[in-house]
Amino acid sequence: MNDNNDILKVAGLKKHYKDKAAVTGLSFAFSSGEFVGLLGPNGAGKTTTIKMLTGLIRPSSGTIHYYGSDFQQESQKTKALIGVVPQQNNLDRDLTAYENLYLHAILYGIPKAARNARIDELLDFSGLADYRNRQVKTFSGGTMRRLVILRALLHEPKILFLDEPTVGLDPQIRRVIWDFIVKINRMKNTTILLTTHYIEEAERLCKRVLIINDGAIIVDGDPEALKDGIGHFVLELHKDESIEEEFFDTRPDALAALEKSTYPCKVRGVTLEDVFLKLTGRRINV
Amino acid sequence: MFNGLYAVLYRELSIYRKRAVKQILSSSLSPLLFLIAFGWGFGSGVTVGGLPYISFLIPGLITMNSLNQSFAISAEINISRFYFHTFDEYLIAPVSHAGIVIGEAMFGVFRGLLATMIIFVYALIFHVTLSFNPLFPAAILLHTFSFSLLAVTTSMIVKDHSGQALVNNFVITPMIFLCGTFYPIDKLPYAFKLLVYVFPLTYSTKVIRAALTGGDVSIIYAGLMMFYCIIFFLTSLWALRSVEA
Ligand SMILES: Nc1ncnc2c1ncn2[C@@H]1O[C@H](COP(=O)(O)OP(=O)(O)O)[C@@H](O)[C@H]1O
Ligand SMILES: [Mg+2]
Repeated sequence: MNDNNDILKVAGLKKHYKDKAAVTGLSFAFSSGEFVGLLGPNGAGKTTTIKMLTGLIRPSSGTIHYYGSDFQQESQKTKALIGVVPQQNNLDRDLTAYENLYLHAILYGIPKAARNARIDELLDFSGLADYRNRQVKTFSGGTMRRLVILRALLHEPKILFLDEPTVGLDPQIRRVIWDFIVKINRMKNTTILLTTHYIEEAERLCKRVLIINDGAIIVDGDPEALKDGIGHFVLELHKDESIEEEFFDTRPDALAALEKSTYPCKVRGVTLEDVFLKLTGRRINV
Repeated sequence: MFNGLYAVLYRELSIYRKRAVKQILSSSLSPLLFLIAFGWGFGSGVTVGGLPYISFLIPGLITMNSLNQSFAISAEINISRFYFHTFDEYLIAPVSHAGIVIGEAMFGVFRGLLATMIIFVYALIFHVTLSFNPLFPAAILLHTFSFSLLAVTTSMIVKDHSGQALVNNFVITPMIFLCGTFYPIDKLPYAFKLLVYVFPLTYSTKVIRAALTGGDVSIIYAGLMMFYCIIFFLTSLWALRSVEA
């Protein structure tokens, strides 16, 4: 039997398309309240993973258990525990914010008498009360994004999946969304799995990071520990053809090496990008 | 099942409310042109099987216009699947596929019935006398439900707009022109007659015309309408399931 303390447990999850293996075998478990990041370059298999975990596509093989019960067999009951923020804002643009939320409330079986109170409470929680009766097509990208997140919370999910929540938003709005997601994790104790290809996003928000490359998880751990594992400081050597990195435990060691170098170079702190580079020989963001 | 059904209807009707005038206007025009061209222009003085041509034409226009409107949900579902991805909201929700299918089909029936009313208004304006068989409401419900289910099936199978256009051009339009909506099918060459007896619209047209012009409603044809309805319900469920592959 599965360990029921895990909110989500995945084993040997794979997805093959006709000519392409999108996900080649994932295994991990989350406990309640965790804030996990799935970090990887474009095409690594992040969206495919989220779609399998939320029931939008069927895995080619492998198992998914929520609280110990099989997702395939108990999909209807289990779906009520899940909130999803897809990569694209899939709101009905011709409807108002309220109508979009009301639709969601019906879909998740929220009793009629509770619907309006729940909607208004969440509009306040996310600072969107002023937008209640306006058509979604008039909203900015950041406001739409917040509404999609808020919609996913309406049925009080135990676990929230966010697929690249801040892609395409400007830096200031990105911070607003970050604060909002952190607030959800802290105040509602919602377990969060967020996918991203932004290093900074994973480092700042996530207590645990799964790094995914070519459909497989190459490392899983606390971002700080992962960085400590390769050294604390990087010497970047700007060679003619490429940039090369050398890793050091202390700043003086790095500076000593810098003195000896004949290339233009700089010393900086280690990031998850370096972890990825060291494991794959590639960069996440090219 | 009811959460899904009710949610789909809530969404479709909320959007329809905002577009109602435009959609009713646009579904009024083409039957009017057919009535003017064939009813007045070409058909005056002509009789078909003892009926004035315009009385023969009106039931045909009812099946055509309601089919067009019911089937139009297909293109809209298509847009919500591939362009706005709003359809995914249904798929990740804890609702049954049957609820989603029946909800969409009931909205198709609603649009088909509005299209039917429009033709009845024209019948009044053009002073066409119709008789009214109590089987008519059942027949029009079955007809619009069937083609709404065909629309749901289509929208789940096609991959994009051009696929949708292909079905419209190669299935819907030929049905409308061949299945006895504008002229009796016994005038067609033998090969076409065979083809026409495969198309479900043929049976809708026969039953609905008989119900509105004082003819005998054939139990066999009504049974075939029911048969197609069941088939299209099953194909809808199958096609929706295949979306999650
Ligand atoms: N429906 C599909 N058919 C074929 N290949 C697909 C399909 N969806 C995704 N892929 C491929 O699977 C890989 C992973 O895609 P995706 O999960 O979207 O990556 P990410 O979200 O990490 O950018 C990519 O190479 C993509 O081209
Ligand atoms: Mg993606």
